[in-house]
Amino acid sequence: MNIDRLVHSPARLSILTYLSVVEEGDAVYLLNQTGLTWGNLSANVTRLQEAGYIEIVKEFKDKKPHTLLKLTDKGRKAFQGYQNKMKGLLNIESPSPGGM
Amino acid sequence: MDTSDQEKIERRVFTSFFQGGIIEAFTGIFLLQLGFPALFSRSGFGDWQSALLTLPIALILLIAVFLVRKFVVVPRLGHVKFLPERRRRISKLIVVPTLTLIAGAIVGYIFTENASLRHVFVGQIPFIVIPIIVFGAAAYFLNMKRLYVYGAIVGLIFPLGKYLETVIVSRGTLPATILFTAFVFLGIAVVFLVSFLRKYHEPTV
Repeated sequence: MNIDRLVHSPARLSILTYLSVVEEGDAVYLLNQTGLTWGNLSANVTRLQEAGYIEIVKEFKDKKPHTLLKLTDKGRKAFQGYQNKMKGLLNIESPSPGGM
Repeated sequence: MDTSDQEKIERRVFTSFFQGGIIEAFTGIFLLQLGFPALFSRSGFGDWQSALLTLPIALILLIAVFLVRKFVVVPRLGHVKFLPERRRRISKLIVVPTLTLIAGAIVGYIFTENASLRHVFVGQIPFIVIPIIVFGAAAYFLNMKRLYVYGAIVGLIFPLGKYLETVIVSRGTLPATILFTAFVFLGIAVVFLVSFLRKYHEPTV
């Protein structure tokens, strides 16, 4: 089964999960929710951005630079595709409790 | 992870933005707005005077809650724009209490202005029904079950105070009961805020 390795990494999967439940969020939001460090978050966000899965919007809020992250349509499709593949895989791999 | 799992995650993310005791602070301020007018009117002030005296207290506390939220809580939690479905639920939350309060005011006016109906409109009913509807709507639209409990407490505090007033036979019992509960909520809000500040630190890049 062809699994998207970019999504499969725990850190990136966590980032995509938390971005999929909001329209957009900043780095502090992702840090709190995922529990990643700044460095780890930054590295994984860059990889997702390079793949076109997330979009980074830089703006000024109260005269301070503010970075917002947003899941792109491509990223949302990739995340949903990954979910469906994993669901299919787990349904095949794990037999029902009473069955063989 | 299926849709229901994602809904659970979305709900958890959304409720995490109400950390720091904001709900308890608002509940406490709501109760202060009931308790102080009752206290002032029992101290000889008229209804309008009591309401006017309460207004600055509530306003100062609301501004304090707003400033703490803007400058202390949000920078630690981060900025998020929720999905349209969640934003629709929030706008519905604003509509239900507004309609309830307008309906309550109209019904109250009709019943108190009409001499034949005045005895039917027992003074305590709006103090029981309105908080239950307002907090119930907030609990439903924000997916926060503890708001049902807060609604029940706020709804029952007025009849409890009235009952205690008849048992203890002191005119100050009703405002004391309401204000005591208000300060308990405000105390809980402070405890939640302190625990929030211990858990979350302002990020430095």
